[in-house]
Amino acid sequence: MTSTALPLPRSAAQAIAAELDRLRAEIAADLGAPDATHIRRMIRVARLSALAGRTLLMLGVDPLTWGVGVTALATAKILENMEIGHNVMHGQYDWMNDPALCSQTYEWDNVCDGEQWRHSHNVVHHTHTNILGRDRDVGYGFLRVSDAQPWRPHHLFQPAASVLLALLFEWGVGLHDLELDEWLRGRRSSAEVGARLTPFLRKAARQVFKDYVLFPALALGNAPRVLVGNLAANLVRNVWAYVVIFCGHFPDGARTYTVEETRGETRGDWYVRQILGSCNIEGGAVLHVLSGHLSHQIEHHLFPDLPAHRYPEIAPRVRALCARYGLPYNTGTLWGQFATVVRRLVRLALPVAPRPAFA
Amino acid sequence: MDVWRRSVAAGRRALASPWLRPLNDADALDDLLALANPLWSVRARRARVLWVVDETPDARTFVLRPNRRWEGFVAGQHVCMAIEIDGVRHERAYSLSSCPGEPTIAVTVKRQPGGRVSNFLHDAVRPGHVLGLSRASGRFIVPTPAPSRLLLLSAGSGITPVMSILRDLHARRCSTDVILVHSCRSPQDAIFHDELASLTRKWPALRLALVFTAETGRLDRERLARLVPDWAARTTFLCGPAAFMDMVRGMWREAGAEGRLCWESFAGPVPTGGPAALAAATVTCVRSGAVFAAAADRPLLVEAERSGLRPRHGCRMGICHTCLCRKVSGTVENLMTGAVSSAPNTMIQLCICAARSDLTLAL
Repeated sequence: MTSTALPLPRSAAQAIAAELDRLRAEIAADLGAPDATHIRRMIRVARLSALAGRTLLMLGVDPLTWGVGVTALATAKILENMEIGHNVMHGQYDWMNDPALCSQTYEWDNVCDGEQWRHSHNVVHHTHTNILGRDRDVGYGFLRVSDAQPWRPHHLFQPAASVLLALLFEWGVGLHDLELDEWLRGRRSSAEVGARLTPFLRKAARQVFKDYVLFPALALGNAPRVLVGNLAANLVRNVWAYVVIFCGHFPDGARTYTVEETRGETRGDWYVRQILGSCNIEGGAVLHVLSGHLSHQIEHHLFPDLPAHRYPEIAPRVRALCARYGLPYNTGTLWGQFATVVRRLVRLALPVAPRPAFA
Repeated sequence: MDVWRRSVAAGRRALASPWLRPLNDADALDDLLALANPLWSVRARRARVLWVVDETPDARTFVLRPNRRWEGFVAGQHVCMAIEIDGVRHERAYSLSSCPGEPTIAVTVKRQPGGRVSNFLHDAVRPGHVLGLSRASGRFIVPTPAPSRLLLLSAGSGITPVMSILRDLHARRCSTDVILVHSCRSPQDAIFHDELASLTRKWPALRLALVFTAETGRLDRERLARLVPDWAARTTFLCGPAAFMDMVRGMWREAGAEGRLCWESFAGPVPTGGPAALAAATVTCVRSGAVFAAAADRPLLVEAERSGLRPRHGCRMGICHTCLCRKVSGTVENLMTGAVSSAPNTMIQLCICAARSDLTLAL
């Protein structure tokens, strides 16, 4: 990651804060029926897609309906996890006062427990974004994704570990808040991990039951087909989510921070850290929706609780602000960004000397 | 019989088990049902507007057909209606003005100046509109058997629950001696004027006294005592604006007749002005029972912590929504945006909201 020092003058940080606060207030005041319609439409599409997918798996007998069924179910899971679940749990639709869309009670179709997700993601990741030692999303406790992270022997296995993580991504997400890496290093007690184990096991058990016992059982003779189909749909969702999320903060150009650097951080500094630590993906509307608008990671990190489908609308203004203040706006194609992530994971698996300035 | 009931209850609980999701996801099932008919729901009470009646220039009755989840009501009760306005779900309590036991129910809504929901109801809600209902509740109920002498005191839109009581007593052919004293500005503002006139013709035991304040001034103690000489001995039901209710309650209290007075108030706490006007608000927590004082210039999260409570929180800067809490009633100001919220049953972020009136929180 680049270590371009950007000592922003106090006045610039203040001006950035004022401008971004105004932008936020403008969008927040504009929220209304079209935004409510959007999320409800997404929910309906996801539900109907899941219904269609599960029905095709349950009632069909040939590989074609199996393939279409898996595609429909995977699309439903992707939409529900990314455009709906992640965004609703961020509080993006709390303003609607709809109990079904309340951030603090929403549960998503994922082995990760909602409460634990809200803690590790909304609170920890979004407050301490990219601060080494604070933001556990920087490498998730076992990957080396920044030159600033010291090399350890287990990093040699990280290319293989990354592939495994991609296939089992929802399990990685589910275990994330248990902080097992901290426990292994002796920085968390067994009691603390134990307390978090129960909610994780409860959610995981229900998810496993649903996809690998309940629906196969309902299919009677078609049970093996449904079981394998559900497994395939989960795998597709896992890999897609992995790719999108790893493109969020790990492509070349994203900046990490130390705790010392962020001491005494003002609101403007916080905004700048969100910009410099995040990366966007360019693409069409379909990509944006399927990524839950995490293709606009920069805008998401600036305004995590504004409805994500508004990010494409505000992106040009954020980009213009960055140009005015000389801040980089990290964006690229999906494969372009992901290629740099793969190269980085491979390069940093080895104990090479840190790259100078620009990675 | 009891075994059967318990088995049914156990079966219902099993069907609602989280292990059966998403098959028993009520929201998903409702979504599916709504494709056929938006009134249908697995568990939500809903009603469709059948027709509207303009009672006065600013009061309108909405006749509703509730769905099967509606359990009915007792005359005098109110219901919380949920209406979506520009994507936001609002809840308001309205007294049911119709007679119980009919296939339709009715609420009569007076347009409030600056009121978001009342104005939306008048301007945008047409027959066919579907809205949400809560269970009927309230203790503004005439006891059974009905008392021999009844006094109904109302002013303005306070006549709505009283009308339901009157219609119900008349339908049940009650022998109670009923006096209704209703106060409003002028004959044009008397909601249900025609129906009240026809009721007095059909029902000899009902006496009606309409007070038009624009012509004869406010109804005061002396006038009320002249209209109803045996007021202290009658079971009395009172509903109306705060000043009117305060006058009557004071009168009954002084005569020691408080035990025979049943009253219902709609208005919530009125914001007392900007931060300078409010020294400290009293915040009542319905879940923990705790009560604490909140200064006007500090976020509710900070004030709660200063009083010893430990509400959930996260970033403490308004972005993570961990401190989201339901404001049951009262007014708060969002310190980041300046937005003021007085609506009941809304979610607020404790770390960025400050009290602008006495509050009740689901904490």
